[in-house]
Amino acid sequence: MNKTININLAGIIFHLDEAAYDAFKKYLTQVKNALESQEGGAEVIADIEARIAELFSMRLEEYKREVISIDDVTFVTDTLGSPEEFEDDAEEYSSKQTKSNKAKKRLFRNPDEKFIGGVASGIAAYFGTDVVWIRILFLILLFFTGIGFITYVILWAAIPEAKTTAQKLQMRGEPVNLSNIEKSVKEELDGVKERFGRFREESKGTQNQIGNFFSRVGNFIINVLEAIFGFIFKFFSVILIIIGSVIGFVLFIALFGVIASTWNIGGFDFITIDGAVIGFNAAEAVLGSGVDLTLMRVGTLLTLLFPILGLIALIARAAGKPLANGRILNVVGGISFFVGLAFLLYAGGQVANTFKVGATEMSTVELQGNTFDLRADLLESPEGFLFEVDDDKLRIENVSLTIKKSFDSTATLVMKHRARGKSNSDARNRAGQFSYPIEQTGEVLSLNEYFTVPKEALYRGQELRATLFLPVGTEIFLDPSIENLIYDIENVHNMWDGQMIGHTWAMERRGLVCLDCEDVEYYNTEEIEEQIEELEESLEEDIERKIEELELEIKRLKEN
Amino acid sequence: MKIDNTKAQMRKGILEYCILGILDSSDAYASDIIAKLKEAKLIVVEGTLYPLLTRLKNAGLLEYRWEESTSGPPRKYYSLSDTGRSFQAELKMTWEELQEAVKIITTTPTES
Repeated sequence: MNKTININLAGIIFHLDEAAYDAFKKYLTQVKNALESQEGGAEVIADIEARIAELFSMRLEEYKREVISIDDVTFVTDTLGSPEEFEDDAEEYSSKQTKSNKAKKRLFRNPDEKFIGGVASGIAAYFGTDVVWIRILFLILLFFTGIGFITYVILWAAIPEAKTTAQKLQMRGEPVNLSNIEKSVKEELDGVKERFGRFREESKGTQNQIGNFFSRVGNFIINVLEAIFGFIFKFFSVILIIIGSVIGFVLFIALFGVIASTWNIGGFDFITIDGAVIGFNAAEAVLGSGVDLTLMRVGTLLTLLFPILGLIALIARAAGKPLANGRILNVVGGISFFVGLAFLLYAGGQVANTFKVGATEMSTVELQGNTFDLRADLLESPEGFLFEVDDDKLRIENVSLTIKKSFDSTATLVMKHRARGKSNSDARNRAGQFSYPIEQTGEVLSLNEYFTVPKEALYRGQELRATLFLPVGTEIFLDPSIENLIYDIENVHNMWDGQMIGHTWAMERRGLVCLDCEDVEYYNTEEIEEQIEELEESLEEDIERKIEELELEIKRLKEN
Repeated sequence: MKIDNTKAQMRKGILEYCILGILDSSDAYASDIIAKLKEAKLIVVEGTLYPLLTRLKNAGLLEYRWEESTSGPPRKYYSLSDTGRSFQAELKMTWEELQEAVKIITTTPTES
C-alpha cells in the first residue's frame, strides 16, 4: 500500500505517489525560480504546467494507470528539460536584468580561502584580483605603519562572512542563478566527498568491528586534536604576526637608520631620543671609524638581503612567475640573514661594552655679583641634533640646568660631567674631556645648549648636569634663549619651566619668587599662618564668652 | 570556444523564424510546434520553447485562442498576427539572402 498525494495542475487532478510528488515539487520549484523574475514569467509557468498536465494525462492513458509514478515525472522533466536551459534562453532576451545581476558584487569575508579571517580573500574576490596582492598590501601596511593590523581587525568585524551559497556567489560577483548555485554546491560537495573518502580509506585498514571502533575513536581524537592545535596555531600565528610586525617595524627603522647613518645619507631625521634628533653621523659619533663600523655596514646589508629577496619572491609569485631558484634563494637569504645578524650583534656587543661603566667629574665656577641675566647664546646652536661632528670635535646637545638656593654668600655654577666607558678610568678620563665655555660680562651670564668633546672620545652617553646655586638676596632674569636648557627649577609659585622664562626672579629664604609675573598666586606662608592664628584666637574667645553666657543662663533658670 | 555553444547559438538565431514559418502554413498549438521542431532537431527539450512563444506573443507577432482537448487541459492555439505575417515575410527574405551569402562564401574558392 502506498500513499498518494493529490495535486491540481491546470485544473486537472492528478494522484502522485510520494516519491513522484517530492521529485515533481522540486522540479516545479526550480522552474518557478528560473522563470518568475522574467517578463511574462507567470504566463510561461502556466503554459508549462498545462503542458505537464497534458503529458501526465497521456502517460496515464497509455499505461492504463491512475497514479503518477516517479518514472512519469522523469519523463516530464526529460521532455521539458532542466530549468537552467530555459533560463539560458531568457538570459539573452532580458540581458539588462542579468547584467545588473552580474554587477551586483558584495563584499564578504571568504571562509573558504582564509588564513585568519578571510578578509584578504574577500577583498580580492571583490576587486577580482589575486589574494596574494591583498595580503602583500596588508603586510606592507603592517610592517611600515602598523595601520594594517587595525584595518584588518576593523574589516574583520565589519564585513560579514559569506555563509550561504548565494552570498559566496555575490562575493565573486557571479549572478545568483540556478546553475551557478548548483555548480558551487557541487564543488563544495565534492570537497566533502573527497574528505569523507579519505576518512574511509584511513579506516579501511582495520577490518574487525573492535578495530574499527578503536580506529574511529582514534580518528575522532586526532580530529579533535587537529582542531585544537589548528586553533592554537592560528591563535599564535596571529600573535606572532602582530609581534613580528612590531619587531619588523622597529628593525626596519633601526636598520634603515644604521644604513643611512653608516653611509651618511642625509635628509632623514626620524630617530629621536628625548625630543632630540640623532643626526645621521650618529654612527661616526658612536662607532668611530674602526672595525665596528665596517662590521655594522656589512651586517646591515647581509641582514637586509633576506627580507628583500623574500619580497621579490613574493611579488614574483603574485605576478605568476615564481622564481626558479626559490629554495636556493631561501637558503642564501637565510644564511646571510643570520650571518648579518651575528655581525650586528657582535658589533653591537662591542659598542655596548664601551657603555658599561659610568663616571662623573665635577667642576665649579664662582660667579661675581648678585644680579644675573642668564642666557644661552654663547655659541651658535644648531637646532635639534643630539650629535654633530665638526672637524675634530663632537658636539653633544645634552645639557640641563637647574637653579637652587645656595648656603654660601657667593653664587656658584656646579657642573657634573657624566660619561660612560669600558672601565671606570676610561669613563673618568672621558668625563674630564668636556669643553663647556662660560662667560660673565657684567650681569650677563652666557651659557650654551651643548658641549663638545674631542672626536676620538666618541659618544659614550656624555651629559652635563649644571646647577646654579644662588644665595638669598640675588636676582636673576631668565632669558627666553635658555628654554631648552633649564630643567625642573623649583619656585614658590609652582610654575613650569616654560612659564618661568622671560621673568625676573628673586632668591628668597623660601625659594625663587617671581618679581614681575602677573596673575600668579602669591603664597606668603608666614602671613597666612599669622592670619590663621588670629582667627583661632578670636574663635576661642568667642567660645569662652558663649560658655560664660550659657552658664549664667543656667544659673538663672535654676534659681527660678 | 566550444563547438556546441556555437551550434546552439546558430540554432537559436533561426528558431524564431522557424516558429513563424510553421505558423505561416497553419495554426498550431504548442505541442505541434514542439513536435515539428523536435523532428527537425532544432530543439532538444520542450521547456525552451514556452518562454519564446510567450515573448513572441507579447511582441504582437502571435495570437492565440483556447481550444478544448480530448486529453488534458484546454490548449492554446497559436496563429500569426498581421504584424507577424509581415515580420515573417521580411525574415524570409533575410534568410534567403543569408543562405545565398553563406553558399557563395563557403562554396566558391577564394582567389588569392
